[in-house]
Amino acid sequence: MSQKVTRRQFLNYSLMGVGSFMVAGMVLPMGRFAVDPLFQSDAEGSMIQTSISADDITEEPTQVDFSFIQQDGWYESEVTDFAWVYRDGDEIIALSPVCKHLGCTVSWATDDANPERFYCPCHNGLYEKNGNNVPGTPPTGPLDQYEVGVSDGYLTIGQIFPNELV
Amino acid sequence: MLYNQNDLKILKDEIEFVDTAVIPFASSDMTVHAPLNSSNIEMLHLVSIQLEKQFKGRLLITPMMTTVDENISVLASYVKQLRTYGFKNIVVLTHLKAEIDDAHRIKLNEIPLENMSNEMKIEMINDEVKTVMKSVISIWNK
Repeated sequence: MSQKVTRRQFLNYSLMGVGSFMVAGMVLPMGRFAVDPLFQSDAEGSMIQTSISADDITEEPTQVDFSFIQQDGWYESEVTDFAWVYRDGDEIIALSPVCKHLGCTVSWATDDANPERFYCPCHNGLYEKNGNNVPGTPPTGPLDQYEVGVSDGYLTIGQIFPNELV
Repeated sequence: MLYNQNDLKILKDEIEFVDTAVIPFASSDMTVHAPLNSSNIEMLHLVSIQLEKQFKGRLLITPMMTTVDENISVLASYVKQLRTYGFKNIVVLTHLKAEIDDAHRIKLNEIPLENMSNEMKIEMINDEVKTVMKSVISIWNK
């Protein structure tokens, strides 16, 4: 005896079928978006390669240039910035040269009275080697740090972040 | 500091720290000197951008001012305005000979940039920037 599908059953099945497609059509994209952060590759691509070999970095802060493409509205330009880079034990430290007071460029040991400090020529701001601002001088916070890495023996520079050494 | 809304807002509060105004000043005569003028203007741009980067917190770089027939009357009234605003030092960065009352003049070298390779250009500009920085510092130390 052949099994008969009633009209009611047939309608039920086809409704469920169509309904499940519709639900899947909504849920699947939402699910994909929800877990998307897991598939993001790390920001490794944003590390900028410099021409300085990691072995050449000493305990004396030196200026390391790096260039990147900056987009200003419609205009794309190559910008060269630099960081003060030195070695602290096994670690490599890269400090931003932008003074926290009003944004001048600080330099290492250019003030004769303070040979072991960063010096800002604009308003005589001083920073210790780890970037900490010397109290009594105009800056109100420590110098920012750059993420650093080593790729094929060469130093790479990444994102800027607030100083964590102080 | 540059002549834009953001920097001008900061400038208003920090005028005691930002005590120096730099006016890039050039000639835009449409005479036989036009090519030379354009090269000077380009160089003035490059130098003032670099200078701003180094001394951001103590300089206001005003928009470039151009003149014809070496007429400096507009410059003179601008200097007066800047002085009234509260700037202690006013520097005119220029290739021209014009002397301005009440302002320091830093004269740039005329460099034929168009005939140079990019690397050479950068080097020449950087040297020029260093000279200008030294002159600015010596004005501060007076």
